[in-house]
Amino acid sequence: MPANETSLQAPEAESRIDIDAVLRESRVEEVLERLERELIGLRPVKTRIKEIAALLLVDKLRGKFGLSAGPPSLHMCFTGNPGTGKTTVALRMAEILHVLGYSRKGHLVAVTRDDLVGQYIGHTAPKTREVLKRAMGGVLFIDEAYYLYKPENERDYGQEAIEILLQVMENQRDDLVVILAGYKDRMQRFFESNPGLSSRIAHHIDFPDYNGEELFEIAELMLTDMQYQLNEEARRALVEYITLRRGQPHFANARSIRNALDRTRLRHANRLFANRGGVLTREDLVTISAEDIRASRVFLSSGEGKRHES
Amino acid sequence: MRLTQGTFSFLPDLSDDQIRAQIEYCLTNGWAVSLEYTDDPHPRNTYWEMYGNPMFDIKDAAGIMTELQACRKTFPRHYIKLNAFDSTRGVESLKLSFIVQRPGQEPGFVLQREEGKGRIQRYTLRAYATQQPENQRY
Amino acid sequence: MVSTRSSTVRDVSKRYQAGVMKYAQMGYWEPDYQPKETDVLAMFRITPQDGVDAEEAAAAVAGESSTATWTVVWTDRLTASEAYRAKAYKVESVPGSPGQYFAYIAYDLDLFEPGSIANLTASIIGNVFGFKPLKALRLEDMRLPVAYVTTFDGPPTGIVVERERLDKFGRPLLGATVKPKLGLSGKNYGRVVYEALKGGLDFTKDDENTNSQPFMHWRDRFLYCMEAVNHAQATTGEIKGTYLNVTAATMEDMYERAEFARELGSNIVMIDLVIGYTAIQSMAKWCRRNDMILHLHRAGHSTYTRQKTHGISFRVICKWMRLAGVDHIHAGTVVGKLEGDPFSVQGYYNVLREMHNPVDLQRGLFFEQSWGGLRKVMPVASGGIHAGQMHQLLSYFGDDVVLQFGGGTIGHPMGIAAGATANRVALEAMVFARNEGREIWNEGPDILVQAARHCAPLKAALDTWGEVSFNYASTDTPDFVPTATAA
Repeated sequence: MPANETSLQAPEAESRIDIDAVLRESRVEEVLERLERELIGLRPVKTRIKEIAALLLVDKLRGKFGLSAGPPSLHMCFTGNPGTGKTTVALRMAEILHVLGYSRKGHLVAVTRDDLVGQYIGHTAPKTREVLKRAMGGVLFIDEAYYLYKPENERDYGQEAIEILLQVMENQRDDLVVILAGYKDRMQRFFESNPGLSSRIAHHIDFPDYNGEELFEIAELMLTDMQYQLNEEARRALVEYITLRRGQPHFANARSIRNALDRTRLRHANRLFANRGGVLTREDLVTISAEDIRASRVFLSSGEGKRHES
Repeated sequence: MRLTQGTFSFLPDLSDDQIRAQIEYCLTNGWAVSLEYTDDPHPRNTYWEMYGNPMFDIKDAAGIMTELQACRKTFPRHYIKLNAFDSTRGVESLKLSFIVQRPGQEPGFVLQREEGKGRIQRYTLRAYATQQPENQRY
Repeated sequence: MVSTRSSTVRDVSKRYQAGVMKYAQMGYWEPDYQPKETDVLAMFRITPQDGVDAEEAAAAVAGESSTATWTVVWTDRLTASEAYRAKAYKVESVPGSPGQYFAYIAYDLDLFEPGSIANLTASIIGNVFGFKPLKALRLEDMRLPVAYVTTFDGPPTGIVVERERLDKFGRPLLGATVKPKLGLSGKNYGRVVYEALKGGLDFTKDDENTNSQPFMHWRDRFLYCMEAVNHAQATTGEIKGTYLNVTAATMEDMYERAEFARELGSNIVMIDLVIGYTAIQSMAKWCRRNDMILHLHRAGHSTYTRQKTHGISFRVICKWMRLAGVDHIHAGTVVGKLEGDPFSVQGYYNVLREMHNPVDLQRGLFFEQSWGGLRKVMPVASGGIHAGQMHQLLSYFGDDVVLQFGGGTIGHPMGIAAGATANRVALEAMVFARNEGREIWNEGPDILVQAARHCAPLKAALDTWGEVSFNYASTDTPDFVPTATAA
């Protein structure tokens, strides 16, 4: 529309740009700060996100002077184990793209293979297109993207979905940003057999596992959000719990912590309930004690490695 | 002739950017957009063919434009209209409907009259195009 | 307010002694009364004669519009008179109008025959308007309980179904009244209809007094008009209509004309408000049976709606007509040649078009009103409007309205069809711009000039009427104005 053309007119070659003003105007810092607040650790991820934001912002500024390196490719790949914050970061990424003007609506549509691939001939294309239609103007997040490709089954319909996806990633870069996510090793093998896809991914971000201290911090943050607190004994118990749990199979980082806290709350409630006849204070209602944590089977089965999620 | 059904038929044919802006208006209002096509533009032809179901939960006009391009590719010489449906109680009907593609040649309609009693005429309208078989109309 | 505070006489032996008693003492003034969900509520503007207390005046209005007569009658005691008595429950001074009061009165639902406007009006406005102790009386608003609303069929077609039948969405409809309204022969009259519809209007309209006169009998008009409608449909491929006025001396004549309109394939017929409430309800039933849109021309209403102190507010007429069941009603233009304050007119439109009206004093709506499942009435804006005002009309009224440009179509310097095209292009350009997010109230004139670049008839229309406006003070204005809030 011609109405806002004037504001985009090229400034004089020697005119200056106040970078602080540009940052303020874009609101991108707000989003970055929120990312910093919300997510414990993840230092390398946050650094990469800031780098990408800086690149996009500078691209926009260069555009004002008529300088262009061609439209930036924005499709990304997030690799890492479950519970390392990929979906949360994808949400913030969508916001960043939105405030910088690279995504019109900035919404995130998260899907897996089942949402894209059909069960019979002619079923896949409409399913994939339906998802793409909803994601247009925003970000499409495909979790465990490698399941789209099943080399063991030559009649698999996943390939059809990949081809439609490729076309859109290439031809409608203004309309859609795609983020593929999953385990690192599997994703590498997936790209090896789908070089077309790999070549269209501009940014690879690896999400490391959390260390013990980070997991403890995450747990505390979650408890604060839910208006609970740990007493001294309970803190020690939780530290021990985290160490044990990390050594067991099927550990899913922040997600395992969330599950553990949910079960802890259950035991906390049961303990209060069992103690009938007594008087409850506000303090009792918010305080988790060591026994609520130590009752977990993680402590019983330590060394056996059999029971893992209780 | 120029078929004047639809909301913007008296304006010059809309560009894709203009169509996109109208779709954004519909999406902002929470209406579901759908596409219909026909080679029989009789004003009482209520049921044009649906190009897929109404598109619910769409955030951006690009998703609908993709469908429109696909529809145009499949039916390059048909009439295509874009409808916006509002499911609000007390409406539950279209809130906007306009033509987004029309054939290059629009032969129009013939009005047939049949004499009745007391100077009454019986009127029948027929699209010239529908005198041709289905695949040769436009 | 000075008041003698006469309260209900509770002692039965005194209450029913023969003789004259104050209405308030008879029980028609009950300041503690809590209106029931099922009560019919009315709000009157009363101007008592000098020396008449406001509460007694309100009680008198309650009495005279329900069970009372001028003297005590013992036969009241054969009835549950406590329930049947209307109760004046609130009286307040009218802001800025000394000597005038708003009186709120509640009526039990059983006082009214279901589904009868004649019965409702015979009570509420039957005797009381000539009552001597009052200088003037005006019925300002009514709350019709849902229990009563649902005893009416309401509009035979309604806005939604009308649009589906006409296949027209997302913009106001366009119409024009054929001019001159008297004197044209049937053949010449049909020419105007054909040109206007071919040029781009959706409807043409007979005027209120176009019935069956020596220069054009009704059958002749109907035949030529339907030729014009069908021919215009063939030329444009679009559904068209013309409001055939079936107003006549008797119901038998009206039915005969309506039947003929149906036989000719018309999708709409028209009546005048002067035919009376019962005739209107009869025609509404006929239209419902025959899938016909019913257009009501509000001929005669200004005799009782225009003056602020006496008569009936037009918003009450709108409520009655939605119950009685018309699909179109003329409800004002704000910007045209006929009386209409912007807020009051928007109040009428809301009454006609919403499922539920909240209290909105600024727009003259004193009661919350729910319409149950009753269909919506399409308001018609007609009288002295032209294409140059399109941005104002669209801003005031939105999409669900018929805009009628009679003179603005037929008086166009390039001819009737060109006049119609100018209006349609102006309308579509304005709707288009609004949807794109432009501020049409301010940018309207620019948008019209832009649109006129590809439409010579619109350019001619703007050159001819661009500057015409009718700026006179309204007589029927709201009593409540928004007060500026401290920022």
